[in-house]
Amino acid sequence: MSDNRDEKLDRMLRSRRYEGASADLTQRIILKAQALPQNNTVSLWSWIRQLCVEFHLPKPAYVLASALVLGMVIGFSMPLDMSPGAEDNSVSVQNFLSADEALL
Amino acid sequence: MATAWPEKDDHELLALIQDGNGQAFATLVERHTERFYRLAYRYLQSKAAAEDVVQDAFLKLWENPALWQPERNSKFTTWFYRVVVNLCLDLRKRKAPVALDEDMPLIDDREPVDETMVKIQEQKALEREIAALPERQRMALNLCFDEGLSNQEAAAVMGVKLKALQSLVMRAKTTLKERMKAYL
Repeated sequence: MSDNRDEKLDRMLRSRRYEGASADLTQRIILKAQALPQNNTVSLWSWIRQLCVEFHLPKPAYVLASALVLGMVIGFSMPLDMSPGAEDNSVSVQNFLSADEALL
Repeated sequence: MATAWPEKDDHELLALIQDGNGQAFATLVERHTERFYRLAYRYLQSKAAAEDVVQDAFLKLWENPALWQPERNSKFTTWFYRVVVNLCLDLRKRKAPVALDEDMPLIDDREPVDETMVKIQEQKALEREIAALPERQRMALNLCFDEGLSNQEAAAVMGVKLKALQSLVMRAKTTLKERMKAYL
């Protein structure tokens, strides 16, 4: 009984009617489009995305490459005298020299 | 020999549209207007509003052909159904839903009009009950039954998981079965 009701409901749902579109709808759309200019400017983000698609690389490769580029940028932007250990070295050389002077 | 326009598939046409080819656009519009109109009509229950939505959707595609990204969308129709659905939702948000008239005309070019009154009453009752369903249930039902999309495709159009789509359809059918008891 329930199966019959299901079947009938399915049949009714598949045979629903609707008010058809105007015969000239297609032509109206085409004519309106002819009067509109196309916007072909590509945003920076979509350009980058397109570039990534061109390479056909998996996502981890992009993460790795981004981390590498970021590391290089940070590395190069850091001033030389700020690099860790540079100050320590100069202090230890001075200590060494002053120790030699003390012996003399 | 070059392929005739109607023989070109959607993806070929879209690539040409992205190069500004009007003939490709016309072919795509002629091929798909009816099906997208039908979906919009089912949702909005208004011929004028459905035509406007379909027109807006196609003109958006023409103006911004880069919206179609073949690498992100497997099928044009699935993507464009989503565009149409979103436009319908926007329109519904802006305008309050209209209750269906008891005497709403049910016009169809597909079949002759010599039907029994019972069948017409049945149809009217069904349309009324479908219109009373929650928005997402109605959309799921329309996509699966009217458009003949697979559950997977309908889920992609609505942006939900397959299980959620199945649940929406199931709930809609259960409600309809209950409310249409007299006709089943």
